[in-house]
Amino acid sequence: MEKGKMNRPWLKQYERHVPHTIPYPAIPVHRWLLDTAAAHPDDVAISFNEIHFTYREMNDRVNRLAHAMQKMGVSKGDRIALFLVNTPTYVFGFFAAMKLGAVVVNLSVGIFGEELIRCLNESGAKMIVTLDLFAQGIYQVIGRTGLKAVILHSVYGIEKRMTFEEGVPRPLIYQELVETEDAAEPDERVLPEDDAVLQYTSGSTGSPKAAVLTHSNLVSSVLQGETWMGIRDTGNAAVMCVIPFFHVFGMSACLLSSVLKGYHMVLLPRMDLMDILSLMKSLETYKPVSFPAVPSLWAAMLSLPADETKRHLTTVRVPTSGGAPLPNWVQEKFHALTGRTIIEAYGLSEASSATHFCPFPSGGPLGSIGLPLPDTDAKIVDLENPVRECLPGEIGELVVKGPQIMKGYWNNPDLTSRVLKDGWFYTGDLGRMDQDGFFYLVDRKDDLIISSGFNIYPTEIEDVLKKHPKIKDAGVIGVPDRIKGMAIRAVVTLHEGMKGDKEEFMKFCRENMPEYRVPKSILIRGEIPRDPAGKMLRRILREEAQEG
Amino acid sequence: MQELLKELKVKIVEELQLEEVNPATLADDTPFFADGLGLDSVDLLVLVGIIDRDYGVGIFSREVGEKVLVNFSTLAAYIEKNRKRWRKAK
Repeated sequence: MEKGKMNRPWLKQYERHVPHTIPYPAIPVHRWLLDTAAAHPDDVAISFNEIHFTYREMNDRVNRLAHAMQKMGVSKGDRIALFLVNTPTYVFGFFAAMKLGAVVVNLSVGIFGEELIRCLNESGAKMIVTLDLFAQGIYQVIGRTGLKAVILHSVYGIEKRMTFEEGVPRPLIYQELVETEDAAEPDERVLPEDDAVLQYTSGSTGSPKAAVLTHSNLVSSVLQGETWMGIRDTGNAAVMCVIPFFHVFGMSACLLSSVLKGYHMVLLPRMDLMDILSLMKSLETYKPVSFPAVPSLWAAMLSLPADETKRHLTTVRVPTSGGAPLPNWVQEKFHALTGRTIIEAYGLSEASSATHFCPFPSGGPLGSIGLPLPDTDAKIVDLENPVRECLPGEIGELVVKGPQIMKGYWNNPDLTSRVLKDGWFYTGDLGRMDQDGFFYLVDRKDDLIISSGFNIYPTEIEDVLKKHPKIKDAGVIGVPDRIKGMAIRAVVTLHEGMKGDKEEFMKFCRENMPEYRVPKSILIRGEIPRDPAGKMLRRILREEAQEG
Repeated sequence: MQELLKELKVKIVEELQLEEVNPATLADDTPFFADGLGLDSVDLLVLVGIIDRDYGVGIFSREVGEKVLVNFSTLAAYIEKNRKRWRKAK
């Protein structure tokens, strides 16, 4: 197809309330907090266990923390790492950084050791905000990072039992820091084009990379999503915040959308496995209007007794799913129980959140990721000849363009130029578009495994396994899993004369990688299939898995 | 109780798609999480659904979950105790 003659059949599929284009205000993202706190100061902003904050209280705490950070030397452009689960401290830390023009380094709390060091050093983070629960992991590596300050929200007083090496910054306790600070607005001019977030994401080469998202990217992304839903007059309705804020889906659909709309964020931190059991109680208590979740969580909830699920989920007017394809059985069961449709979205860290949504409230065809959002262009391009746009039904690479697309990868112009061309972002996802403009994913260009909404590259696991003294070679693939979408399977070969068992290697994995990357199964084989050039033939591993 | 333990091992391995795990070799005190079966929070929610569906026993609170969802023995004991109560109520 010729340039400039793009086929955009999706526009005809938009619901009536959705315009083709949206006016985007030229504001920094924290402006929404100021507006909401001024308009609805006494509405509840956050509930966390038995603690509640109104929007006035939230804005006050954000300002106090911002002043404390400023006194510690934070200024515009500085990077502040947030190493936090969904807690009020994340919310305060995020907006305090925004108000100072600092850049949030959004880190998964699952990472540790070398990976944590790499993210902190590569981003140049000078400060980290975290919980005492994570303090030990941070202090194990702090001497090898450029961190100058640690702000710790002390929940259990763990830091009191810790010893600190000479020369490393002592933790400053969040509660003490903000107590004496002023609640006035910090005086810093932040522009829409300023960097707001470094969003860390997995890398196919085994090293993480950070998407640079500007204030303007975030504002655009949230407004696109909200316009798409077109929900009005919900007042201080609750939003279930289960998916982590350190993921773009959680940051956008839970945190930023709530602050824009003046919603009540119900935080479920998932500090440990048992926290998930609080979910049903929270649903019953708060009756949320919106519940964004990953497919595995929807699948797990729909595995609960039908009465229980129905009772808790019928109040959810906006059930959304993203992070991975939603299995058809989940959609069908949800619809049968509630009469509603889970609205599937497609997005990436590099796109601030979503580029596609299924129409709300009607939903899209089963298996579709939906339609491009307003002001978002999308096309499927030929894999061999990327300048050729594929015809409807043809499979190629999905590329997207829009105001939500990142500025680039942090300090990585080479990688940026490989994926961002003339404003088009090459997603690496293989898909097709139908005649009506609905998009479908069919595979990945690379070997990415999406398990429970987490993006995992096989090399991230293989590199760790190969460090085990008994393991000679390792190959990792994703195998279909009814609940998680994909489960991780590792195949290893051992050095000559070595003996080992699965439990031993599993333990090694748990000690050396985040929980979500630990394989579900580890098979010991005589060899890993490779081509004559030594390249691993994952296709054969996948075929073997299919054959059982 | 032994019958229930055996049944739970087979059920959990099958329904949670635990590859390469032989239910017959699992000890009664094999932990469900971390270095045991390595279940995660999504598995935990699915497990709660299975127990409710097949035994009519609800584990919908953190307080109960912490005590019961530890290993096969703790789970079997809880099911045994509460299933009886449920039967009496019927």
